[in-house]
Formats: sequence, C-alpha cells, structure tokens
Amino acid sequence: MLQCIFLLSDSGEVMLEKQLTGHRVDRSICDWFWDHVISQGDSFKSQPVIASPTHYLFQVVREGITFLACTQVEMPPLMGIEFLCRVSDVLSDYLGGLNEDVIKDNFVIVYELLDEMIDNGFPLTTEPNILREMIAPPNIVSKVLSVVTGNSSNVSDTLPGATGSCIPWRAADPKYANNEVYVDLVEEMDAVINRDGALVKCEVYGEVRVNSHLSGLPDLTLSFANPSILDDVRFHPCVRFRPWESHQILSFVPPDGEFKLMSYRVKKLKSTPIYVKPQLSSDAGKCRVNVLVGIRNDHGKTIDSITLQFQLPPCILSADLTSNTGTVNILGNKTCSWSIGRIPKDKTPSLSGTLVLESELERLHVFPTFRVGFKIMGVALSGLQIDKLDLKTAPSRLYKGFRALTRAGEFEVRS
Amino acid sequence: MFPQFGATAETLSKASTMVFRIGTDAHLYDDPDDVNIAPLLDSKYDSEKCEALKRLLALIAQGLDVSNFFPQVVKNVASQSLELKKLVYLYLLHYAEKHPNEALLSINCFQKDLGDPNALVRAWALRTMAGIRLHVIAPLVLVAVSKCARDPSVYVRKCAANALPKLHDLRQEEHNSTIEEIVGILLNDHSPAVVGAAAASFASVCPYNLSLIGRNYRKLCEILPDVEEWGQIVLIGILLRYAIARHGLVKESIMSSLKCSENFHAEKHVSDDNMGLGKESSDSWAYDSESVNMVFRCYIESPDEYLSRSSYANRASFELNGAQFTSGKTNDDVKILLYSTSPLLWSNNSAVVLAAAGVHCIMAPKEDVKRIIKPLLFILRSSNASKFVVLNNIQVFAKAMPSLFAPHHEDFFIYSSDSYQVKALKVEILSSIATDSSISSIFKEFQDYIRDPDRRFAAATVAAIGLCALRLPRMAHICVDGLLALTRQGLFLFSYFVLSVCLDRIKVPAARAMIIWMMGEYSSLGEIIPRMLTTVLKYLAWCFTLEALETKLQILNTVSKVLLGATGEHLSTYKKVFSYLVELAECDLNYNVRDRSRFLKKLLSYNFVSEGVEEITCCHVVVDCIFKKQTREVKAESINYRVYLPGSLSHIVLHAAPGYEPLPKPCSLLLDDFNKPEGTCAIVKGAGDHGTSSDPSDNESASDYDSQHSFTGSSSGAHADDNESSEGNENPDPLIQFSDIGNASEIQDGVFHSSPANLGEISNRALESWLEEQPGSSNPGILEQSQACKSLARISIGDVGRRIKRKSHSLLEAANGNGLKVDYSFSSEISTISHLLVCIEVFFKNCSSETITEITLVDEESNIASNDDVPTLVPMEKISSLEPGQTTRMILQVHFHHHLLPLKLALFHDGEKLPVKLWPDIGYFVKPLPMDVQAFADKESRLPGMFEYTRRCTFAGHIEERNKEFGDSLLNKDKYLAICESLAVKMLSNANISLVSVDMPVEAKLEDASGLRLRFSSEILSSSLPCLITITVEGKCSDPLNLSTKVNCEETVFALNLLNRIISFLVEPAY
Repeated sequence: MLQCIFLLSDSGEVMLEKQLTGHRVDRSICDWFWDHVISQGDSFKSQPVIASPTHYLFQVVREGITFLACTQVEMPPLMGIEFLCRVSDVLSDYLGGLNEDVIKDNFVIVYELLDEMIDNGFPLTTEPNILREMIAPPNIVSKVLSVVTGNSSNVSDTLPGATGSCIPWRAADPKYANNEVYVDLVEEMDAVINRDGALVKCEVYGEVRVNSHLSGLPDLTLSFANPSILDDVRFHPCVRFRPWESHQILSFVPPDGEFKLMSYRVKKLKSTPIYVKPQLSSDAGKCRVNVLVGIRNDHGKTIDSITLQFQLPPCILSADLTSNTGTVNILGNKTCSWSIGRIPKDKTPSLSGTLVLESELERLHVFPTFRVGFKIMGVALSGLQIDKLDLKTAPSRLYKGFRALTRAGEFEVRS
Repeated sequence: MFPQFGATAETLSKASTMVFRIGTDAHLYDDPDDVNIAPLLDSKYDSEKCEALKRLLALIAQGLDVSNFFPQVVKNVASQSLELKKLVYLYLLHYAEKHPNEALLSINCFQKDLGDPNALVRAWALRTMAGIRLHVIAPLVLVAVSKCARDPSVYVRKCAANALPKLHDLRQEEHNSTIEEIVGILLNDHSPAVVGAAAASFASVCPYNLSLIGRNYRKLCEILPDVEEWGQIVLIGILLRYAIARHGLVKESIMSSLKCSENFHAEKHVSDDNMGLGKESSDSWAYDSESVNMVFRCYIESPDEYLSRSSYANRASFELNGAQFTSGKTNDDVKILLYSTSPLLWSNNSAVVLAAAGVHCIMAPKEDVKRIIKPLLFILRSSNASKFVVLNNIQVFAKAMPSLFAPHHEDFFIYSSDSYQVKALKVEILSSIATDSSISSIFKEFQDYIRDPDRRFAAATVAAIGLCALRLPRMAHICVDGLLALTRQGLFLFSYFVLSVCLDRIKVPAARAMIIWMMGEYSSLGEIIPRMLTTVLKYLAWCFTLEALETKLQILNTVSKVLLGATGEHLSTYKKVFSYLVELAECDLNYNVRDRSRFLKKLLSYNFVSEGVEEITCCHVVVDCIFKKQTREVKAESINYRVYLPGSLSHIVLHAAPGYEPLPKPCSLLLDDFNKPEGTCAIVKGAGDHGTSSDPSDNESASDYDSQHSFTGSSSGAHADDNESSEGNENPDPLIQFSDIGNASEIQDGVFHSSPANLGEISNRALESWLEEQPGSSNPGILEQSQACKSLARISIGDVGRRIKRKSHSLLEAANGNGLKVDYSFSSEISTISHLLVCIEVFFKNCSSETITEITLVDEESNIASNDDVPTLVPMEKISSLEPGQTTRMILQVHFHHHLLPLKLALFHDGEKLPVKLWPDIGYFVKPLPMDVQAFADKESRLPGMFEYTRRCTFAGHIEERNKEFGDSLLNKDKYLAICESLAVKMLSNANISLVSVDMPVEAKLEDASGLRLRFSSEILSSSLPCLITITVEGKCSDPLNLSTKVNCEETVFALNLLNRIISFLVEPAY
C-alpha cells in the first residue's frame, strides 16, 4: 500500500509531504526523482511507474504539479495512479484550480483532505460530495470570517450521514424549494487524418454529466433513444448494473450536486465537422506552408473557438506565417498556434508562409502534425439522444434541463 | 494585522493576488516561524493553538523537523475543538515514533474519545491510536479495535478494519490470531463499505488464510458490486485466489484449453458436445499457444520455481493433472465469481476494470473472454498515466490471444501527444495483432510513424514492420517493398539509422539486424530491390566495423545469401564486397564473427571454383540454416521475459516486487480446512515449497563450483581447513583459507537469482556459434560464466577475541561524587534472569581517602510510571562499604524496551542522592547468534527489500592502527588481515554480535581491498528475531576505505537504529 505522498512544484520543490504508514519515506527520494527528471528529461517525466533503488514511485502530473506516491510492496499500480488522479481532481475542485501558490496557501486544507482520503495507505473516503461535508471548501465567506474573527473552522463536527448508508455517495436528505435536474452530454471527438488526407479513425468519447438538486431520496431513470450506437460504457457507482444489462436503462439514486453519471464511446464515425488541409512542400532550404480550414457538413450549429496548433520542427531558423482570419502566435517552445474563432461566411480561413531551415539543410523530411480544437454548442456529434428522464415518487414540481456540447479531443491532422 | 500585506504588496498586480490570499493560510506557509510558536501552543484560546499547529504543519510540509514541540502538542489532544484535534492528530502521527514516551501520555485521551457519542471522534481516535505504532500499546489498540469492530457506525467499523494492518505491522506474533479473527468478523459485516476495508486488511494481514474467505465466499461475491471501488480492487484478487485454490482452473478457459488438450483428449470430446456452437467460433480464433502456456505458467509459479525451471531449461516441466481442473459451466462458485465481476467491467475506476478483466482472462470460458476487450480499450482513454499501465497489460493479453484484439487495431494508432513509452508499446501491440486483412491499413500508419521526429520511435516502428513481415509471410513483400521505397527516398531511413545507432545502442541493433536480414531474405523479390542491392551492400560494407555484434553477423549472412542467389552483371561486385567483408571480419575482435567469416569463406570458395551440384545444395543447406535460425529466434522472442499477474506492480517493473504472490496452486485448498476451528486454519500455500523446488538445481551447480574452487585452492597452495571457527580461536596464526565460500546460496545470488536473462543469452550465443552440438553445449557457457564470476576466499581471524576492548563510559566523575567514581561498560554476558535484560558492568572506585558506605543505584522513574514500557532496572545489591582506592565490579541488569533515551538513575551513597544518566547502547540490545555462512545466506535471502537497509561510510581505523604499530616488528603484516582485524575488532568491541565469516575475492589485486566482506549475526534480545549485518569494503588498502554496511532484520525500526549506531562507531576514530 502507499507509504507516502509528495506534492512537488514544477521547479522541483517539495511543497508537501504526507507520511501514510509507519514506514517513513525520506524526502531524499524526491531529490533522486528530480535528478532523474533533469538528466533524462521528458521521457522520465512521462513514466507513471518508476522503480527507484529504494521505492516504487507512482507519478501523476497535473498543471505543473507532480503528485508522487511511494510504496515498497506489491500493489496494483493503477490503484495508486487512479488515487493520485482523484486527489488532484478533488484538490482542483476545492481550490478552484491547481498551481503552486494555491496549494501552499491552502496547505492545511490539503493536509486535512489527504488525511480523510487515505488511511494507512489505503483509500478511505474519496467521494467528493462526502468530503465536502467533512471538510468545508474555502470560500469567500469563510475567508472573510477568518479575517474578521481570526478564527473559522472548516472541519465538520459530525460524521456525514451518508458514510453509514448504503448509498455512500449521497448526502442525507437535502431539501430544495425547486427540484431541478440538468443533464449535459459533453462529447470529445478524437480523429486522426493521415498524410493522404484520409480519415483513419474517428470516434467520440462522451460523458453524461448530471447536476441534480432534488429533495429526499430520488430514484431516477434515464433512457436513450439509440443506445445501440454506444460501443462501450462506464458508470458512476450509483448506476445499477442490472437494468442496463437487460434494457439499457440507467437507473440510479443521484449524488447531490454535479457529477459524472456515465462515460461512453462511439466508434467508427464517418465524418468530422471541419476539414483541415495542410500543404507543405520543402526545397532549397525553405518550407512553404499552406493550411486551409473549413466546415465540412453543416450541423446547423455554429462551430466556435477553432484553433490549430503544431510543433515547428527543431531545425527551423525562422518562421513567417500569416493568416487571413484569426491570429497566429509562435510560442516559446516552437509551438505555433493559430486561433481562428468562428469561420466567417465569406471566406475560407487559410494560413500561409514559409519556414527557413538551418543553413546546411536542403529540405525538411519531417512535417509537423496539426492538432485541431473546436467547440460546438447544442449538438452531440455522436448522434446519441436522450429519450426520457423519469423520477419515481415525483415531487410536485420537477424542472428538467438537457444540453449538449461537443469539442475536439485528440483531433490530429498529419502532413 | 496583515504583516504580509504591507510587506509584499508593492505593485498593483501583487496586491491583487494578495486579495485572493487573504483569509487563506498563505502567510503561515510563507513564514511559519515568524512568531514564537511555543507560547501559542500554551495559549488558552483554541484559535491561537490552531494557528500554532498550522505553523508546525507548514514546517513539516517544508521538511523541517519540529519534533521538539511534541510534549506541548500532545497536551492539546484533550481539546474539545474538532479542528484542533485533527491538527494535533496530524502532528502526532508524524512524530509519534520519535517520542514514544510522550506519545504514551495521549493514550488516556484516546481511550476516553473511543467512548465518545460522536462517531467521527471515535473513528479519529482509533485511527490515530493505531497509527502511533508503539509496541507497548498494541494490546490496548487491539482491545479498542475489537470493540470498534462491533460499533454501530459503519464509518467506525471501516476504520477498525483499516487499523488491523497497522497492528499487524508491529509484528507481534501473539496478536495474530486475534487480528485474523477480527478480519473474519468484519468480512462478514453486512455493510459493503466495511467489507471492502476488511478485504484490504485481509490482503495485508493473512493473505494465505483462504479458508476465512471460504466461509463467506458466496456472500462476498454477491456484495462485490456494492463494495466501494478501492475495496473492489482488492476483493476481486482475493476471490480469484480462493476460487483457484479451491476449485482449480476452468478447463474451458483460454489459459488451460491449449495446455491440456493432449491430457484431456477424452474429456474434451465430452465438453465439445456441450459447447456445440461455441466450438466453431473458438476454433476460428488462433491463439499463440506457446505464449499462452508461457503466460499461464508464469501466473501460477512462484519466482523460485521460475528460476529453477529456467536453469534446467526444462520447458515441459509444468504438468497439471485432471483433478486440478473444474468446469466453468457446472461449478457454481466459478459462475458466481464471473457473474459478479462482469458488471465491474463498466466501473469508473480503471483499476477495478483491469482487475475484473484479469479474472475473466484467467477464469472465463474462452468464448466469453472477448467481453473484456472493449472495457480494456476504453480505459486507455482515462488518463495519460494509466494509459501506460493498461497498455502494458494489454500487450501480454494481445500476445497470448492476438485474434481478440485484431478487430480493434485502430485503438492502437498513436497520437502525437502520446509519450515515447506509450507509442513504442502501441506499435509493438500493433505488430503482434496484425492480420492479413488489417496489415495494409496498419502498414499505412507505420509509414506515417517512420517520419516521426522521435528517432527512437522511428526505429521501433522499423522493428515492428520487421516483426509483421515475419508473422505474416504472405504479406512480407508489402513490408519490404514499402521499407525499401522509403529507403530510396534519399536514403533517409538509413541516415536515421546511423544517427540512432549513435544515440541508442541497445534498442537499435535489433531493428537494424532485422532489416538487414529482410534484405538478404527477399533480395530477389520485386523489381526495385535487386537494383538497390549493390548500393545497399556497399553501404553495409562501409559501416561494417561500426556495427554491433548482432548486426555484423547478420550482414555476413545477408551478403553470402545475396551472393548465392546472384546471377549476371552484379556478381563481380557482390564478390568484391564479400571478400572485403570477410577480410574485415577475420580481424574482428569477436570470435563469433571470425568463426562465421572463415566458415562462410570456406563454403563459398567451393561455390566459386566448381559448379558441382553437391556444393550448391550444400550452400543451400547453409542458407536454410541461416534462415531457420533467424525465424526461430524471433518466435522465441514473442514472450521471453517473465510475466506477472495482470494489473500487478511487478508486471510493470518486470521484477517480482516484495510481496508479490503468484496465484495459488490449483486445488491446494482442501475441504478439510473448513472443518477446523476458526483461527487455527492451516495456511495453505502453493504446493511447491520454495526450498524443495529449487534445491536440485542448486545442489548440482554447487557441486560444479566445488570442483572449480578446489582447483583454484590447490593451485594457490594455501591451507585449507574447513573446521576453523572464526571467533575465539586460540590459534595465533591467522589463516587465509581458500574454500568454497561460493556455496550453494552464494551461487544462487550470483548467477541464478540475478540473471535468468544471462542464461538465455548464453544459450542463444551457443546456438549462434553454429557448431550445432548437443543440447548440453550450453554447459561450458555456464562454467565460463562461473569462472568470471567472483570466487571468494575465506579468511579466518584467530586472535580477535583477545583484542576486543569494551568501551567504558563514565556514569559519575570522582569530582562530582565526593570521590566516588563510577564507570560502566556494556557486557556481552547473557542475563540469567530474563532474556530481555541487558547486562551492564559497573565499576565503583573510591578515589577519596575515606570509606564510602551504602552505595546503591536505583531507577529514578520507577515510582512515577507504572506502565510496563518504561525502562526498568533489576534492583542492585547494595555495596555496604568501599575502602579508599578499592574498586568493586557489579553487574547491572536493565530492561530497556528498545528505548534509546538516557536512563535516569539515582545513585545513593552515604545517604546522599545523586542523579546520573545511563546512555543505552543499541549495539547491546542484541546477543550473538552463531551460525555458519550457509545459514546466514539463507536467512539473508528471506529478509529482502524493505527489511534491508544499507548505509555507506568511510573507515580509517586500519590506518591509525598501522601508524601505531609502525615501530613494531610486525611491519610486514598482511594488509588485508590488518583491515579485517581492525574492522572485526571495532565491530565486536562495540556491539554484542558474532562474526560469521570474512571473505575476500581471490583475484584481488595488491593494495585493493575492494570486495572484502565481513558478516556478523545477532539476535534481538526482546523479540529473538535474527539481525544480520554485512560489511562490504571498497577502496585501497592504505587509504581510508569506503564501507557499505547492510542490516537485514525484520524489525525495521530497530534495524535502522542499529545501522545508524554501527555507522557512528565505525566512523569515530579508535580510542
């Protein structure tokens, strides 16, 4: 089981250490870790499981913060990694984002949370809703209170009732004047377009996010009009497995507040909403770049915040790139980012220019891969449709809301 | 009020960030010690105490040691404020082990809190109390846990389950049965949350006591979907182990179907009838039977068995009999396990999905296994970190059953954002699941990947294309043509190769050799290749000398193959290239390359001279031979490393992590176990006992070594006296004794444990050397290895006993004690009263001119604490009178309870009381445990990993000694002996241990003491656990030496303390 958790800032400073068992881990392990990060670079940083001379390390990097957990004995590595991911999710939820300052500023809360989340190296309470009841997240009111009175406790005095019930994700008996449920379909489209411009792979990874404010102990059922298109699914613990197995119906008692009800995947889609046509040619120490972006088939919804990013090859001396719409930026790490926004009606956005290669190079052999970003409100590109949402023991007034959103996930165009 | 505000808010931007920081604990983290913390802790306001504790936490977070505040913090444990309590607990758990005495003060508060009506308070108290880790309070904690295990609150019961591993971690044998009993109670709990935690404690407390599971098996399976996710991960593993131990393997599963197809031919027919439709579909799937067998065997056998098997190279040793199989169709226990784990494949937690997939892969009938594929592929999307782990597991599944993953090859196409490791894994998986129908699209992808800017990845892709070509001979021409088409594009590929060979010498020669082989093999294929060949061959000849061994051999093969197949115009060019290469190769450093070049030259020279039919066939035989060898090697490569259970850490790091356990032996759990009374159930471990299974190989190899070493021994003409005991020997002449110190276990360490891979390499080399001898030809290889392997000589030191000087400490100076001087030294005597007592020799000397009367030493604290963990003194006899100048020796016996703080004593004489302090020496909390080297190595091998601590230090004692003895006649004393002796004397004078052996490497160079090794053994007085110490020397004889000191002991805290003590006295100069 886990023996220790360290939080490292992106400069390698150990911001926090939390020893979990009697087998203490010296923080010199972090020095060892950081030495290797510096000497081996990114390939070491992207290794989630590391065998150091004394310990096995699990690392998860989120927004520059490295979560490092140590163990000396056999345990499922995914358990360690998944737990660290949960910790980072909970922290960023509590602190409204993750960065070095925010963790240092709220180190007491981080300690208290870690103490609730893991006991003797084994996860204890990881359900965000319950944690919120045990340890109050920092908010304006508590901050002001603490300034004025010099004292405010964020530790709850009593045990949340849910820890004892058979539905540990739901706080006991909330009361609402307005009963509301909002269901959002949030989809990410992953696509790969190869050098010949052919669509190699196109699939959608989607989540059903629910925000429920319901009194009492509601029992909801949600069904889809076309569940057969789903390739595979994963559920929040509240979903009952058997109704899904037999009728593809989601039956659940929701946690209070916002949560991810299920995630799903739809494979082998036939088209993408936009096209990106890069044309690169290279000779005589130069490389000409010309990229066109356009809407392929109209969904009737506007496509927002279209961006295009690519890594310039390392052997480039200078780059001169211009576009007819949007702005082009070349960032410090030789990443070129073109933000288009909405596609105008009258013209096709294009990026063109030349890259000058280093003097001894005749031509470029390796062309960059373009990563595309976009956002479409109001449509789920997978075509998944919610049929109905029912509440057993319906209260007098129930407001139901549905929304959909698709954005680009790993959308890549090779050139 | 805002010191941080005024000080730092110089600019507007800073000020704006400060606004967000107001009300947070930012200033506490930035300047934790800008105020005096101590008075805050003693404040009467909770808020001030809170602030002080937050400051302390900030200091802990920053890695500073603030344990000196411990006494003040402990006082606050009684506070009513929950926030304060929480902060105190956080602090307490961090430092309790450093301050056992003060931590004891908090126990009463915990006990009070355990009766609190608030469940949260009870749970926290239990968690903290169990986390303090003091041996003395273990009985109290045990009582508390068993009480909380029946608590009405689920949360408290859950915490009770979590407390059990903490208790078990203290390794107090007498509590084990009670702990297991509580685990049993909690496993039977009706709340799923408790069951999950209980499963976790079962796994760490008593993983072998599967009969405990047997009683609740059904219920556990039914409750499994409701258990919280973390508990599910552990519980799935436990249930799988139980099902295999109880019922054996499922004969319809993939894992066993191929294995036992011969053994169960008759039975198979019966089950085939049952399967009906299932059969047709399953037959259409091709499984890589060798890989499946390999994987399956690895899951079951323990590391020791694996080692013994690989040393024998006996591939078919693993036999299962019919009784070890059950049918998944008829066995209800197996059915319910599969039924209850199948919905978990939809879990949100990727670890749960992987664990459930593992169960299905091992236990499910093969027509049902495909249901794990999609969930496995889905969790690839969850996070970057888990992607790598999941792919690692998929890789093994995909090699064992490529057909299942074949339709999903698109999922393994890479994204540019993937890390190198992920990309390399994906490409490898793609190459193993490619089929005739999918190869064209996969190959198209590969062509894109070759242009990746990451050269390592491009090289991995080339290797993958080679593997595809081998796996799918029909499609090979596509691969080769494609590759060569790339090659033609300005030799772009090769420029990569040259670069990557420079960059990365490990990975690339394999890929390089592969592609060279392909060129030779398909040299007459298509239209482009023959035209390319001359250029390519010239290029190869040009870079021949720079190549790795593997590639060199392959180039020779290729060129000779091309030469044989060549006709017409290019023949003369090929001949020139060939003779040039042979010339180069004959001067090669490696004998393999030289051999092969001569061999090829002889063979082919016939070919040039005469055009006879026999010669040509002969040459074709050679070609066949080359070709076959190559394919065979690649086949064997499919899974040639050890495979560990899916989802385990060992699987990722590719070695057995401490605590890794393979699946239990099928049907090793007998029904009788259920009938035994609970708590005393036999621990049924794998049928193959570790010791016995690895024995034969050890013995055999040991005898090999014996002969080897006796030879070395006699040639160096030294004495050999095996029965020389090392310590307390009266023989004044030290003997250097060349004997078989490389005894069985030593060899095991040196060769078999560490390098199964080496063995494989050797046998490969044996194959490569072409001299197709008998299978036994790998033996010389091993022997050769052993010659290179260190042979050691044992040194006996005779007269150490005499030179041991116990260090004397002063208890009371004459000036302070009115003329009474008291010294003490720790003695190696063993107390006659109790084995827990440490004996101390105390010398009372009267330096005054008057008689001193009524001298006695008593324990000052004995009347304060009645608790039994405080060091106690066995009452000493009174010395009625001490004449001037007289010295009296007394033996004092103290029970230190492993406390390292000075013991406060009161010395009475003439009616006066003087406080004195006795400093405990951890070196004397042990007693000598004589054993031979064999037993030492045996014990050592059982205390690996976390029970082993190593520290380094320098040692200069031998130099001081030599300087001292410079004037003596003993100038020519052997330097090795001097070092050994001074080390041994130092160790034996400072700790109550026994010398086991002193070894030095036989081929040691003059002046170089590296490799010298001293072993000491001892036994902890209180717990009778063995404690082994090994000192290895590095450095020159005449310089200060670098020592690496290793302590192996089950009691890790003790071991660490002991190690620190040893280092401190080794470093301090001789007195």
